[in-house]
Amino acid sequence: MSLYLEHINQRFGKTQALKDISLEIKTGEFIAILGPSGCGKSTLLRIIGGFLEPTSGVVRLDQQVYSGEGTMVPVEKRDLGMVFQSFALWPHMTVRQHVEFPMKSRRQKGLSEEEKEKAVEQALESMGLTELADRYPGELSGGQRQRVSLARMMVGLPSLMLMDEPLSALDAELKLSMRRVIQDVHRSTGSTVLYVTHDQSEALAMADRIIVMQKGQIEQVGTPRDIYLHPKTEFVATFVSKCNLIPGVWLPDGFQVANTDITYPAGDIPGVFRSKGFYPVRPEQFRISRREKGIPAVVTNRQYNGRWISYSLLQGQKQVQVVADPGEIYEPGEKVQLIYTA
Amino acid sequence: MQRPSFLKRGGALLFYLLLFLFFAAPVLRLISMSLRIPGGWGLANFQVLFQDPRTLEAVRNTLFIALCSAGLSTLLGTALGFLMAYTDLRHKKLLELLILLPFIIPSYIITLSWSGLFLQDGRINLFLRGLGFAGVNLYTRGGILFVLGIVNMPVVYLSVIHFLRKIPVDLDLAARSCGFSSWETWCRIDLKEALPAIAAGGLLAFLAAMDNFAVPAFLGISSNITVLSTMIYEKAIGMGPGAFPAAAGLSVVLSCLALGGTLLESGLVSSQSALESIQESREPRIYFRPAVRTGVEGGLFLVLGLLDLVPLLDMMINAFLKNYGLPATADNFSWENFQFVFSSTGVMDALETSLLLASAAGAICLVAGTLIAYWKLRRHSLAALLAERGAALAYALPGIVLALAEIFHWTEPLPGIKPGIYGTMGLLLIAYVTRYMILQIKGSTNALLAINPELEDAVLASGRDWRTLWRQVLLPLLLRPCVASTALIFISALTELTLSSMLASAGTRTIGLAIFNFQQAGDYNLAAALSTLITALILGGYGLTWLENLHKKGNRKYEFVSGTHQSAVREDTGA
Repeated sequence: MSLYLEHINQRFGKTQALKDISLEIKTGEFIAILGPSGCGKSTLLRIIGGFLEPTSGVVRLDQQVYSGEGTMVPVEKRDLGMVFQSFALWPHMTVRQHVEFPMKSRRQKGLSEEEKEKAVEQALESMGLTELADRYPGELSGGQRQRVSLARMMVGLPSLMLMDEPLSALDAELKLSMRRVIQDVHRSTGSTVLYVTHDQSEALAMADRIIVMQKGQIEQVGTPRDIYLHPKTEFVATFVSKCNLIPGVWLPDGFQVANTDITYPAGDIPGVFRSKGFYPVRPEQFRISRREKGIPAVVTNRQYNGRWISYSLLQGQKQVQVVADPGEIYEPGEKVQLIYTA
Repeated sequence: MQRPSFLKRGGALLFYLLLFLFFAAPVLRLISMSLRIPGGWGLANFQVLFQDPRTLEAVRNTLFIALCSAGLSTLLGTALGFLMAYTDLRHKKLLELLILLPFIIPSYIITLSWSGLFLQDGRINLFLRGLGFAGVNLYTRGGILFVLGIVNMPVVYLSVIHFLRKIPVDLDLAARSCGFSSWETWCRIDLKEALPAIAAGGLLAFLAAMDNFAVPAFLGISSNITVLSTMIYEKAIGMGPGAFPAAAGLSVVLSCLALGGTLLESGLVSSQSALESIQESREPRIYFRPAVRTGVEGGLFLVLGLLDLVPLLDMMINAFLKNYGLPATADNFSWENFQFVFSSTGVMDALETSLLLASAAGAICLVAGTLIAYWKLRRHSLAALLAERGAALAYALPGIVLALAEIFHWTEPLPGIKPGIYGTMGLLLIAYVTRYMILQIKGSTNALLAINPELEDAVLASGRDWRTLWRQVLLPLLLRPCVASTALIFISALTELTLSSMLASAGTRTIGLAIFNFQQAGDYNLAAALSTLITALILGGYGLTWLENLHKKGNRKYEFVSGTHQSAVREDTGA
């Protein structure tokens, strides 16, 4: 079973929120839709969920059309669950009532009362909410609230789970532990997960495949490793891999950095960069040195991070970011050389 | 610590004295009046009152009418609030104007228009009787509660619609994703979430119905249907032996009912505080099929038109006729009513009195109310908090009761001091300021709450003083929202009837009283003409502000960018 998106377009008045999106999502995949705010990723999620009818294009599950071609299956008839950035918990219901809620819908008519009860207990148990079952949302912490929201989503074992920035409202520490919780949900249910985020580290850490979006269009689709190591567009290179785009001249067999006689190997750098005269270098691909011969640059800023140090340097007119080992200390204002270490 | 100067302490003392004089003393005087019996104190007044079957009848009528009319208001207000907040109806601006019309037009004009429509020998009643039905008589308990239900419907509507808009869209989407249709979602989630707001709105309508004097006075006095507010009026105006203590006793009874309701209402409101900081969302959540939508829109315009416009238009037409209820033909057309209204010195004096009083009350409330709000919020001043409580009490008391208390109190506010302001504009002004102050305090409080205190700290941190703070930061930001409350006070005071029915004398008649007197004397055409004039004035005023708002929208000058982290959370919701 696969979910197909075919030539999806979405307009809001004069703005084109989505432009010709086509995609195939296989059952059980964990897909992250990654992009800056306003890129159309939430709109795409809402179209897949059936909250929004696309201006044109088709969403279908194998041969069954969900949206488009004149049909629009309402949300409640689609086999899905969803978690929201705001958690979307109902203030007048307890934790247990939240988890029971989807089981009372027409979707679950086929189940007996015992089966429903068992599913509720199981969902509460797996999210560690059994003790909190009688509390109201107002009495829960942020992490607990999101676990209620996850339990509500998974209790009916939907084949499609939609997650709209589920971790954005949590603090840094909780984000990391909730990533594991979400991965566990995915693994234990085997459902397809569509996970919208603007945080590239979340997408890289959890997804089987990442869809990078910008301005309503898909920039690149691939595995986290693929996206990170082999960005195909300028946007992906800077947004996901935080690449420095070093200007220079492309030669038949390599790249010559501007104003130097230093050349980098051609490798498999995509044509976009070649035509624009850039060479993408990730922050950890540069090494800073005082004596070796490299590109000259001036340190402008240093941020100590414990496991590493991030440096900002001025190379010609351009800012360059470099991540260095914590032992390598350079002072702002110091003239150094940048060495490419493929 | 610097010791507070003598001047400062003196000022504080004076402020507390004023608070006591304006808000506490009248109530205390009223209570003491109700307990005064010949030769001492006691509950004899209440005993006498409750032995009188008319009192019990009035209490029964009051509760019955208030409850039923509140039910009607709640039903209408909730249904309209839901349609307007969640569905994709078009022409919402126009619909909302129609919904709020009974709120804008004074209730006695609405009463007048309805009673004109259902005149005993009017066209509608003749038509109904011709078909063999009984005619519609509005001079009954049913008529009073029907008109009150319409008059107070906007109160419920406003309470409900703001709450419904504040329920986050995500809560609905979550229920949809759990497998429920949008109608099921509305019943299982939104209706349940909004219950406290609906209950609070219904209670407000109940209180407003108990407080209302105009409707039962217009429809009930001639047909001998007594409610507490009209009974107090009759007792106090009657001036018979023991009239004032009896009126005081009745006032205490009515006040207890009203204050009990107010306490219950504030309890309900505080239970919904969880959603207070959330921004309102006007995005439709329920989409009609096009044909259904057109039908619903047409139905709404029809119903609202029948409820609001037909009686008003009928009244306006009758204002141009020689006699109320004549056929609207060219023969019967005449300017006489308006000529009389414009040439009557009494009416012109009333217009002048009301304009003067409304302007003065508005100006005093604007300055004092805004300062009290500022002291309360930013200085956490106890005196300001007390002032707000006092003003809230004066508003929670039924108008007729407040008027009576003002009479008792201001004839001799302090032992030995008799300012002799009874029957003058001075007493009316004091009563208006006391009555409407809370509207300004609340409005200014909301305006101030929208301003992050850091904006003010930033002025001081930039090395500027409080004069700069007010002139360059607070006034530009506060003026528009604060003046909006003042406008409400101005309109309310301009068309007010309850207070002036008790406090005005021959020389200080107000507009409301002029219309009331015409109606009581049977001069329906004159009452209709003056009401038409007032309605045109009010609608013209609202039209002007509406136009100005349209004009302003294009270039909104001030956007609050600080301290609104909620908006950031919801910025990427797709639309």
